[in-house]
Amino acid sequence: MTTLEAPAPKVELKTPPEAKPQSIVRYVTDEQICILTFDKPNSSANVLNKATLQELDNHLDFITGNDQIKAVIITSAKPSIFIAGADIKAFADGAAPEQLGELIELGQSVFNRISILQIPTVAAIHGACLCGGYEVALACNYRIASPDKSTKIGLPETQLGILPAWGGSTRLPRLIGLPKALDIILAGKTVAPKQALKYGMVDELVPREYLIEAARKRILSGVAAHPKRKNRLLISLSNSGAASELIYRRAKGTLISKTRGHYPAPLKALDVAVRGLSGSIERSLNLELEAMEELAQTEACRSLVRLFFLQERAKKISGGKDDSSEQVRPVQKISVIGAGVMGAGIAQWASARGIGVVLRDINSEQVAKGVASVSKLYNDGLKRHVFTPVEARSGMDRIYPSAGEFPLSGIDIVIEAAVEKMGLKKDIFRKLDAAAGPKTILATNTSALSVSELAEATTHPERVVGIHFFNPVHRMQLVEVIVGRRTDPEVVRRAVRFVQQLGKLPVVVQDSPGFLVNRILMPYLIEAGHLFESGARVEDIDETMLDFGMPMGPLRLIDEVGIDVAQHVADTLAQKFSSRMDTPAVLNRMLEAKLLGRKGGRGFYIYSGKKDAVVDAEIDRFQRSKSSANLNREELRNHMVFLMVNEAARCLEERLVGSADDVDFGMIMGTGFAPFRGGPLRYADRFGISTLVNEMDQLASRGETRFAPCDLLKQMAQDKRTFYPGAHT
Amino acid sequence: MSEPRLVIVDGVRTPFSKMGTDLAQLGADELGRIAVNALLTRTGLDPAIIDEVIFGCVGQPADAANVARVIALRAGIPEHVPAITVHRNCASGCEAITQAYEKITAGRGSVFVVGGAESMSQIPLLYNSSAAAKFGKLARAKTLMQRLRVFSSFRPADFKPRIGLQLGLTDPVCGLNMGETAEILAREHSITRELQDAFAVESHARALAAREKLTEEICPVYLSGKSSKVITMDNGPRKDQTPEVLATLRPVFDRKNGTVTAGNASQITDGAVALLVMSEAKAAELGYKPLGVLTGYAYAGCDPARMGLGPVYAIAKAEDKLGLGVDHADIVEINEAFAAQVLAVLKCLRSEEFARTLGRQRHLGKLPKDRLNVNGGSIALGHPVGATGARLVLTSLKELERRGAKRALVSLCVGGGQGAALWLERN
Repeated sequence: MTTLEAPAPKVELKTPPEAKPQSIVRYVTDEQICILTFDKPNSSANVLNKATLQELDNHLDFITGNDQIKAVIITSAKPSIFIAGADIKAFADGAAPEQLGELIELGQSVFNRISILQIPTVAAIHGACLCGGYEVALACNYRIASPDKSTKIGLPETQLGILPAWGGSTRLPRLIGLPKALDIILAGKTVAPKQALKYGMVDELVPREYLIEAARKRILSGVAAHPKRKNRLLISLSNSGAASELIYRRAKGTLISKTRGHYPAPLKALDVAVRGLSGSIERSLNLELEAMEELAQTEACRSLVRLFFLQERAKKISGGKDDSSEQVRPVQKISVIGAGVMGAGIAQWASARGIGVVLRDINSEQVAKGVASVSKLYNDGLKRHVFTPVEARSGMDRIYPSAGEFPLSGIDIVIEAAVEKMGLKKDIFRKLDAAAGPKTILATNTSALSVSELAEATTHPERVVGIHFFNPVHRMQLVEVIVGRRTDPEVVRRAVRFVQQLGKLPVVVQDSPGFLVNRILMPYLIEAGHLFESGARVEDIDETMLDFGMPMGPLRLIDEVGIDVAQHVADTLAQKFSSRMDTPAVLNRMLEAKLLGRKGGRGFYIYSGKKDAVVDAEIDRFQRSKSSANLNREELRNHMVFLMVNEAARCLEERLVGSADDVDFGMIMGTGFAPFRGGPLRYADRFGISTLVNEMDQLASRGETRFAPCDLLKQMAQDKRTFYPGAHT
Repeated sequence: MSEPRLVIVDGVRTPFSKMGTDLAQLGADELGRIAVNALLTRTGLDPAIIDEVIFGCVGQPADAANVARVIALRAGIPEHVPAITVHRNCASGCEAITQAYEKITAGRGSVFVVGGAESMSQIPLLYNSSAAAKFGKLARAKTLMQRLRVFSSFRPADFKPRIGLQLGLTDPVCGLNMGETAEILAREHSITRELQDAFAVESHARALAAREKLTEEICPVYLSGKSSKVITMDNGPRKDQTPEVLATLRPVFDRKNGTVTAGNASQITDGAVALLVMSEAKAAELGYKPLGVLTGYAYAGCDPARMGLGPVYAIAKAEDKLGLGVDHADIVEINEAFAAQVLAVLKCLRSEEFARTLGRQRHLGKLPKDRLNVNGGSIALGHPVGATGARLVLTSLKELERRGAKRALVSLCVGGGQGAALWLERN
């Protein structure tokens, strides 16, 4: 018997030498178990592309042509990735549809070969096992996964606007039953090993070091070939005609109301998973293929794939031109000044990422409130199983409360999150400046005030930068890194790196009122306020934008932000851009009537307990005219969206960010701007820039000068240019 | 070349809270973590340069063995820094400091985080050995019948807990409770109930008057959970203490003839203290201005049944070593385990007769009240046993600074028949 020291087969022994670097290493043990190890050369990940699939196919030739082979184990040599899925470039802009079809068919046929092998097959999974990676595993008889943190299992295809088409939509429902399979596939879920075991997506969990040995034992004992699984009866019942029809209708209803028809992928996936159950595997695979070819052509897929790439890019950007300079040391300790909602949110997030945080406020009562907010965030996370109790406690342990001055030695970054008052902030920065060592970055989380002006309060303005988190910190991935007039590029680089270390997505923005996201969002919210004030109904305004694909209507968003906060931000911007923005009077009148929005229980909507918010029936009393009462939904949409597009173009025109990608990425991640539309500038391209400019001119000519298109848009319309190459005009 | 000296750079402590009150939910590890966390924050020390963490703790939590290591890691001190828990009963907090002293003078390190942590609230109740044996059998029982059989063997007496706190405060050698040893001193040295109560009243009055001063050494404890609360003050000192009030209390350890009551003994309390100590050279290199120097110290043994006199023996021994006697001290802290015990110590210090039992010609010295426990003592502030030694060092150094004075003597009696005496000096 081989014992524990056996696993980790060494490669060189039996593989024939080949010129081409291989992505899969084959090794046959003395017991005639063939181990296929995915190990793409010079890469930390394994991906499935045409070459790899062909390589796998060749190995299958070897296996089927060799009677001696008793079983197959598929595994990976990477430290944190099993197989991350297909190479997504195949779906990106410019990929030829025929090639995509070929790739899908190739994958299907190779995986199918695995599934019909007459010998037992086991997937030994450690690390990310996603999309195609999990579909390989699904083609095996038996799946063993490591309980490691890096092991994640799932089929997130629908998040890219496509569906699992290498057998995932076919095999998962057959393995774990339709209801659970839809739970995974429709939402594009990725689950932790424990949950995967609970779902039945894997058969057992074994530490990484013992994976191969466990696979070997299951093969020799016959379990791999004939696994005993629970709930077989229940699964066949839920997969039967009548039950699946019921499930289908229910799921479809939910999907349509949730996506408002903007996201075809989950609907298609639902269709394929349910219809595929009633026939042969081959037929079901065909359905997958057809659906995939259709989905890959949709704008939603293109936008979502692009978003994926933009997110990957944000994880890697250096925040400066010079990539080669010295390695930025990971941040170990920060200080957050101000223990309010934002300060506590930042402190909690950073401490959960292993960073020590001195949480400072002016007295112990304020600090206590902050510590309590951090503790609540951890407790909520505990309830949602984001943290284990030990992780939550360790996170709390990393909070260093301080109600007094403390030395800043050892603090890498100070983030000021105090009240939005310039005088107060300048005071704080002057003190920080005097106390901080030369290497300490002084950052502000202001969302409205000028970073450059604040920097002038210090003797070293070059180390002052904006690091602007969005509320709620634990949910919003985007962070704006604001470059002041005199901020040192190295400081920007370190700030960007810090944001990445936090697992957030940075976008670098030049200092300017409202920065990027609020600058573009405010004209839209202001316009919604004006439209309401001049007679448009709350429901019409919000429904219009929900239909457009926003996660929340603009008036509802004002309620969520708080009427007072919205007014303050609007005022700040309106001061700077008075020609095209003015705070709608309605906000002030609502405040006078003590309507604060969600936090006060009343705004445009009434919030009572756990019930859904309803529009305040008496809200019309704040309207002042009826001039907009007759606008139809398209007109309403154009009013609001045009202003966003116009402001987005201005941000680019003023070079606040580096590219149109940055603008669109910021708006999608920072405001939830309809992801399937790809952002305001991508939307402009599709709408047609000359059409856009024409319609805006028309609105402007009726005296509504805020609609006057900016120079960049006018010039682009004239030159027939688009923001993105290849976009249809 | 002279020996390297140990300096106390800074220190901080949690508020001291009576057992079962504000801090009852926090274990010794949590209390210690909070103190070290605050110490690191206010000193800005790079924790990576710490050579070792040494903490005193008497009732080590069952779920945090080597509690010093747990405190160190939870407070964010890097893994490579080792940690040790020390135990010399009531002088455990002193032991942590003197261990660092030994290491520094031996050249084995120059930066230490030391202190003491104690949750008297969380000292567990224990099962007696008969019950423990039955639980063991139950765990091993396989069949239902076996299990039922073990169940039926339990007797009501098996569920009567042994109170860990009581056990810890009882001397296993002489078989006496600490309070009973204090009664012996009261009898033998004629310390009346009235004298003891008056001493206790004074302790409370001084602690109350020192409230402001004491906050300088306290870090707030932020309690979060259902209701968030911040604890910033000791809750032991009582405003309504008068000899009349104290006279109404019944003796605890000798109901008929005793004099020691809950009112004239130290309070049972939760709390932690953390001190940053360094070699003098290291502190200078890092630019710190230390609170003071540990000039030297002595531990001495004595009769366990009269453990309360420990300070006399230790002070005498320290004088032999250092040439510093009671008269050299600008202020003195003698831990108030029991009023009877402190008063007995004072009597013995000034007694020629007692001095002769130590082989001395002269008495050790007279200690005027205005130099002794000037900011109150454990009768008012409480006595988290593992932490008190470190608190006395911190409190007396801060007081030296306030008075612009030079020397302090810190002394404690130690259960099991020992005494500790530490000499501190401000430059």
